[in-house]
Amino acid sequence: MQKFKILFMCFLVLFLALFMMTSAAWSEEQFKITAAEFAKHKRLLDDPRPYLTTTLAYDKVLPPDLYAKLTYDVDEMKKAWAGVVGFSAPNAVGKIAPEIKPGTYSYRDKEKYPGLKELMIPLQYEFFKAGVPPLAGTYPEIKVVPTRQYYFSLPIAKATKENIDRVQLDENGIIKEETWTGGLPFPRPSGKFKANQCMYNWIRTPLWWENMYATSSNLGFTRTLRIDQRMVADVMQLKLKGRVYMEPYGWYDDRAKQNGEYTQMNFFYKAPRDMYGNVIGMTTYLDPEKWDQMLLYVNVLRRLRVLSSTDIQDAIGGADYAYVDNNGFGQKLSTTIFPYRSEVIAEREFLVPFSTWDGSQYVNAKGELYNYEWERRPMYVIKMTQLDKNFVYSYRIVYMDKETSILVHIENYDQKGRLYRTTRGSRPFIPELGMFGFGWGIACDHLDLHTSVTNGYMMPVPWLTRRNVSLRGLVVKGK
Amino acid sequence: MKKRRLCVVLGAMLLVALMVHPVMAKQFKVAGRPLNLFCYLTQQVAFSMHDDDYYDTEEGLQSALFNFLLEGDYTFSDDLKFYGAGMLTLDWIYDIKHDDQSWNEKLFNQSRDNLYMDDESWQLLKEAHFTWTPGDFLFRVGKQIIAWGETDGFRLMDQINPLDQRRGMADVEFETTIIPIWLLRAEYFPRIGINWLQDLGFEFIFNPNADFIPNQNPSTGNNAGGIWAPNVMVPLAPGQYAHLGSADMAIEEPNSWDSDGFEYGFRIKTLIKDAFLTLNYFDGLDNDPVQRMAAAPPEIGVASDGLAIIHPSMEGYYPDFRFAGITFSKDIIPLKASFLGGVSPVLRLEAFYGFDNTFATSLNTFEKSDEMRWAIGIDWKVKIPFLNPRTYFALSGQFYQRKILDYPSGYEFSNLEDDNNMTTLSINTSYLHNKLVPSFFWMNDRTNNADMYKLQLVYDYSYKWHYTLGALIINGNKPGKGFHVFENKDQVYFKISYKWG
Repeated sequence: MQKFKILFMCFLVLFLALFMMTSAAWSEEQFKITAAEFAKHKRLLDDPRPYLTTTLAYDKVLPPDLYAKLTYDVDEMKKAWAGVVGFSAPNAVGKIAPEIKPGTYSYRDKEKYPGLKELMIPLQYEFFKAGVPPLAGTYPEIKVVPTRQYYFSLPIAKATKENIDRVQLDENGIIKEETWTGGLPFPRPSGKFKANQCMYNWIRTPLWWENMYATSSNLGFTRTLRIDQRMVADVMQLKLKGRVYMEPYGWYDDRAKQNGEYTQMNFFYKAPRDMYGNVIGMTTYLDPEKWDQMLLYVNVLRRLRVLSSTDIQDAIGGADYAYVDNNGFGQKLSTTIFPYRSEVIAEREFLVPFSTWDGSQYVNAKGELYNYEWERRPMYVIKMTQLDKNFVYSYRIVYMDKETSILVHIENYDQKGRLYRTTRGSRPFIPELGMFGFGWGIACDHLDLHTSVTNGYMMPVPWLTRRNVSLRGLVVKGK
Repeated sequence: MKKRRLCVVLGAMLLVALMVHPVMAKQFKVAGRPLNLFCYLTQQVAFSMHDDDYYDTEEGLQSALFNFLLEGDYTFSDDLKFYGAGMLTLDWIYDIKHDDQSWNEKLFNQSRDNLYMDDESWQLLKEAHFTWTPGDFLFRVGKQIIAWGETDGFRLMDQINPLDQRRGMADVEFETTIIPIWLLRAEYFPRIGINWLQDLGFEFIFNPNADFIPNQNPSTGNNAGGIWAPNVMVPLAPGQYAHLGSADMAIEEPNSWDSDGFEYGFRIKTLIKDAFLTLNYFDGLDNDPVQRMAAAPPEIGVASDGLAIIHPSMEGYYPDFRFAGITFSKDIIPLKASFLGGVSPVLRLEAFYGFDNTFATSLNTFEKSDEMRWAIGIDWKVKIPFLNPRTYFALSGQFYQRKILDYPSGYEFSNLEDDNNMTTLSINTSYLHNKLVPSFFWMNDRTNNADMYKLQLVYDYSYKWHYTLGALIINGNKPGKGFHVFENKDQVYFKISYKWG
């Protein structure tokens, strides 16, 4: 006993010594927008405030030096991106239903403007109505705006340009990892595996900040449009490969390179009370045949649990999406892990609520969506047929923006061929950064008749390190 | 005492009234920093599944538990946070059955002092701790919970905090059966340059024995343990038995801040190849006392069923408890089967070796022996489409063994064999978009041939309102051992919960 006490004191002394030695490491300020701060500027319900051009504009939120570092000349970015993808959207649309001009249309106008049906994604046309049960996420009116050119920032454009003719797929349509170092892997999809190339553009999308802090709020609507769920969670994520605009560039560290790690993140719940203090830790791997690592700090147990990395098909905590639906499509392309046969089944323009730049869109208590800006977008429609009959979906229909490779609308059909879950995304654009914001997501369960509506805010945070998203991060953020 | 209780109740009612006010925010800014507040209220009622024939149970309504928990955190800075939680627990049954003849004859009314209201300061203040996380460190000081181990239902490595089990296995809030104690916890997560070692952390725990709180187990005797008093029959002569009543306990406890009550813990935790591995060492006191009959003669009374009640005098102490152990958990991907839904099982292992632990014997003596405790558990989510086409079934099975080394021959350790084996099985799934969650739990005491079953249905109307309906069924075959002493405690229960925040 006496020996152990002496040993314990030695450890304490060692602790203090280490503490003194590393004291400079935590002096950096952790600027971020938390859930509570975000709610002050934009509530999830009935709040039309344009927070992205006013109180939460990035030039107000980011430290001036960081904002300056991430800001580029808009004309230069437009020119560079058009050169990379080979076109700009305003020049690629306008052929279908040209009589649909910019302006505001009510659902009552549907008969008057039959071109809308032709121009819209069929399911979104169905949701062009007043709010009535059983599903939320309807559009009583839509505001059509002229098509705008979207682009990513200059470092992303530069990295993407270098990928042309360099990034390759193998004979199974799986990316050859050593050929991709950052940016969109396939800015001009083509050839036998064109659909796979499109999907890789999403899997490796530069949409997320390389060091990211995000907060999100979620509302659940029952089949009677009663609100049955309110969830608030924050996310910290590090991109570990293909870093092009936040230091360190390329690989985040040697560990990521040796272990083939792509991202590491912590997802921590703030509300509701039952979820408060739960933290999900996740490390994704580049190896297409390797399952990602998932850990959970359980608030009630005050313990860390290893989750089955293969448990990716159940709905997450009462929401209307599973891990495989993360951000619309949260899977790898693989020959062994739920493989797909993918094909581009259409390439055409659609009228979609792609982006509302000022953040003024909102949902009301009837589940109606307002202030969305709809524009004609050139898009790919990709059918992904699942080859494993035991997977939750038999096939997915993916609507992808051609200019940015951002997913706009995904329909997932169960093994009986019934429409099961859909996800719709609309992300704000920040022109001077050449980046998108977190935006709105609408997820519907068409069998259990439930809807989840999410909004959030994300920002680049250079202060984020492995320390925040590792075992330590789970313990610190856990209850 | 009555005034104090009245104040506690009124205070709780005022807080409840404030909390449910619809315009009150859940997140505040205080001095420019975030303050988060949460609370829940639950009211449960339990009905006995037995009639009035048993002395150790009450027919019909037998408990009406109310819980109010208020918790919150305040962030002083990015690396300094305070978390606090307070709880009030009341069992209205003592008011409801105040004039009930059966309740009073069976002496349940006399357990009011122990079980009506948890109004001791350590019961009202659940947790209160500061967490400081500079750099690669974490320091947490205050009243807190530290949970070790991998098993559910059994407490193998999880020996730091005591448990409150006075209300048995009824559906009290699981989270609040763990009793927070005053602890210092320090963790260090070094930055490692070894690629195969994904994460590494060192954890030190020191219990300064600020306020010695042991396990709160159901007391014998209806007058002390209420409806959860174990039904122990004492043989007097062939065919003649007496009830074991409440005991006059003379259990030595270390004084506050006495170094005899200091406890130390050390843990190394790592992630290696996606497996979570910990090495643990603990040196402290057992949360349960060893006890034996004292020299004083027992008091004898008469129960309402005509049998005698024996109130023994017991003496004992909280012995040293030292162990070194290991835990391991990992998902076993090669075992995933597509036809079962394609989810691989998670294997959980936990074992410790206890040095010189103290046991009470059937000779009314105390003896020391080493022991081994180990458990293996498998969690497996499987798809059973004809029972639930959309959601998986979560199956979890565990086997636990407590092996006493150098077990004596010719006499016994109290309530322990040389090998003591338990298994558990837990099954749950969900319907109606996760709103309806049926679950089944079975604990089998293989050594004592006894079982405990819990069937439960939870309906989450919304994130605020939750309803629970359940049944608890217990049986045992060896008189006085294992679950046999709770055999008459079968009950159905219903609980309504309101959660705020």
